[in-house]
Amino acid sequence: MAGSGTAHLRAENVLLRVEHLVVEFGSGHHRVRAVSDVSFDVAAGETLGLVGESGCGKSTTGRAVALIRNPDSGSVRFEGTELTALARAELRRARTKIQMVFQDPISSLNPRRGVLDAVIDPLSVWGIGTKEERRAKARATLESVGIDPDDAGGRRPIEMSGGQCQRVSIARALMLEPTVLVCDEPVSALDVSVQAQILNLLDDLKRDRGLTMVFIAHDLAVVKNVSDRVAVMYLGKLCEVGRPDDLYHHPEHPYTEALLTAIPEPDPGAARNGKAALSGDLPSPINPPSGCRFRTRCPFAQQKCADEEPQMRAMAPDHFVACHFPLSTNPVTTDATALPYRAPVSPPDWASEPGPPAWTVQAPDSPPESSRVAPPSQPPNPQPATPPRPPQPAPATPQPSSDRGGDRPPLWIDPQP
Amino acid sequence: MSPRRGPHLSFPEVGSIEGPLLEVEDLHTSFRTGRGLVRAVDGVSFTLGRGRTLGVVGESGSGKTVLSRSIMGLLPGSNVERSGMVRFSGHDLTTMSLPELREVWGMQVALVFQDPMTALNPVVRVGRQITESLRLRVGLDRKAAGETAVALLRSVGIPEPERRLRAYPHELSGGMRQRVMIAIALACGPKLLLADEPTTGLDVTVQAQILDLLAAQQRERHMGMILITHDLGVVANRTDDIIVMYAGRIVEQAPTVELFAHTRMPYTEALLRSIPRLDESSHTRLRAIPGRPPDLAAQVQGCRFAPRCPYVQDRCRAEEPPLRTAGQGHQFRCWYPVGSAEGDAALAHNVAARVPAALAFTGTRVRDAAMATPNGARRT
Repeated sequence: MAGSGTAHLRAENVLLRVEHLVVEFGSGHHRVRAVSDVSFDVAAGETLGLVGESGCGKSTTGRAVALIRNPDSGSVRFEGTELTALARAELRRARTKIQMVFQDPISSLNPRRGVLDAVIDPLSVWGIGTKEERRAKARATLESVGIDPDDAGGRRPIEMSGGQCQRVSIARALMLEPTVLVCDEPVSALDVSVQAQILNLLDDLKRDRGLTMVFIAHDLAVVKNVSDRVAVMYLGKLCEVGRPDDLYHHPEHPYTEALLTAIPEPDPGAARNGKAALSGDLPSPINPPSGCRFRTRCPFAQQKCADEEPQMRAMAPDHFVACHFPLSTNPVTTDATALPYRAPVSPPDWASEPGPPAWTVQAPDSPPESSRVAPPSQPPNPQPATPPRPPQPAPATPQPSSDRGGDRPPLWIDPQP
Repeated sequence: MSPRRGPHLSFPEVGSIEGPLLEVEDLHTSFRTGRGLVRAVDGVSFTLGRGRTLGVVGESGSGKTVLSRSIMGLLPGSNVERSGMVRFSGHDLTTMSLPELREVWGMQVALVFQDPMTALNPVVRVGRQITESLRLRVGLDRKAAGETAVALLRSVGIPEPERRLRAYPHELSGGMRQRVMIAIALACGPKLLLADEPTTGLDVTVQAQILDLLAAQQRERHMGMILITHDLGVVANRTDDIIVMYAGRIVEQAPTVELFAHTRMPYTEALLRSIPRLDESSHTRLRAIPGRPPDLAAQVQGCRFAPRCPYVQDRCRAEEPPLRTAGQGHQFRCWYPVGSAEGDAALAHNVAARVPAALAFTGTRVRDAAMATPNGARRT
């Protein structure tokens, strides 16, 4: 995974198109490419679910789409306009059409201001309507998200529950009548019962107002419920894109399958089929693995995965994967006898892994200029991320892929018998 | 350094005495606040056998965290009322003095907190936080404590433990920090481990790792464990028994398999049905529970779940149901239980009468405003 490419982009009816998006933080040796050549598109009225672990760059992607943080390169086209090229004043105006809902509902509201004031604000900033009209609109919007303006309008965020605050945040985002709503983990801080209320609300609003949504979350079940299309992200790159029913029933990327396996099912009889949890943590994006970025945790990693970055390719209509060995073609997984998720991959130790100075990092031993990649707006044929060290012998079967993992106990725990 | 002198309670070795590890009887914990008495734990009783795992499930504000603090005796010093009995290995923890409790904390009963970043001291290296109790309580010297800490970190799956001992908490990822918290809790070999939302805020992949780790350690050390969570998915595969709490009370209690197979309490059913399922197709309408938990400071007549319950009848609003028994070890608190003839009739009646909670339960779209504040819960 962790692949690039644009094979999954569609030609028609696209409202929002993001191509070769790159966002970097920091400088010098600590330059981190949080989003590394990500492309996706969202059709009008569609909900795109963006899933991945913490630190995979999904929130940064969301913020770059709303131009809250300018991408370092790449393009964000919205209704045919290139947003990254707009001047500041034009951008502000264009951005009213793309609004965001943030993760922590309580801290995203000003603790010292009343709820009604917070919701009126977007109209006041733009000077839309008279004072009474703004007030009336705010009250109507609050009501549409299930908040009684008479009861709650004067309250401070601290006087309300997390679910109510999230409703207020949604109301505030709707005040300028946006076309696109970017929801960044809107339910991850909420209890399951309240989470269901908010997900239903978002679905209703989407239908009533014809909203297009980018829904960012780490919970695959939540994403499946709200999305028309799902993109799985890992370490700044996309792994798999598809319609939820295809992607969840026939995951092609080993990472997608690992994420699905990790979901706790509320059913004591649901044996986990001898599948072990994915081991280890996300490697550091400061020094990402060469080739496929998932290879350090992938049970099927081969030499090719270290040498060559996989490109997005179609496995089925509207189902794309960036993997050299997709599960449906993988001889290990298609062997009907056993499910193979038992490979004891030792933990990737990014801090000490002598990986290549891949892509962004100005490694001390490489000249600074050459370690920067070509701008991702060039054709999707990437710089070969070939390791500068001699290739390791390829493990034929799933084996510890860390170079120094021999004497270390594997991180994974045996599943319960 | 010699171990600090304590009262030297004698706790029998695991397996050497009969009877359960932990017995909680009619535990009440209330906080005196400006709004009145908040009954956070209101008459909770259960027993936990040695080597068994108990899941405690409920929404925020259902009193599950206060329950764990009440069992430990870790409550604020003032404006708290606690009554009832907590008997651990035959000793009543509620009557113990602070020096006696210090013998219990860590050595006998340990707690894994929800948020490892705030539970760990940010300016003290991880190693010292682990060895602290080993040196003070167990009385190991510096070298032995260091070696034990390395072994502990290795057993919780931290690579290169020697190096990690020198790390500060901020240098570790969230999953690693939670592993360190678990290592600290396990350091003195407790007989009972309380894990309070140990995986909330972690990614699903890391959550699976941490839960597997807890289960493995629990089996290996034959500990009793109480796993507190708001997610029924987390406890489904990993507990022997489950307690469902609502507004400070136990509303259903059963062996895990029984609870999922024969759910009786409408609240448990509602919690289960509000979880988005992977096997449902997208845009399936979720069966949300309308409203939110009641204000614990308010005096409630009748069943506390009544304002949100799809099965609610007049009797529920007037009279609080007692804990009723259904089969082996299965108790619930409901007049119109799920799966019974009365329950089915009550639900059908409510759907016909277009009660919002019942309509939401059947997946009908209900105007949120009609359900958001069913009892004006928090208005002060």
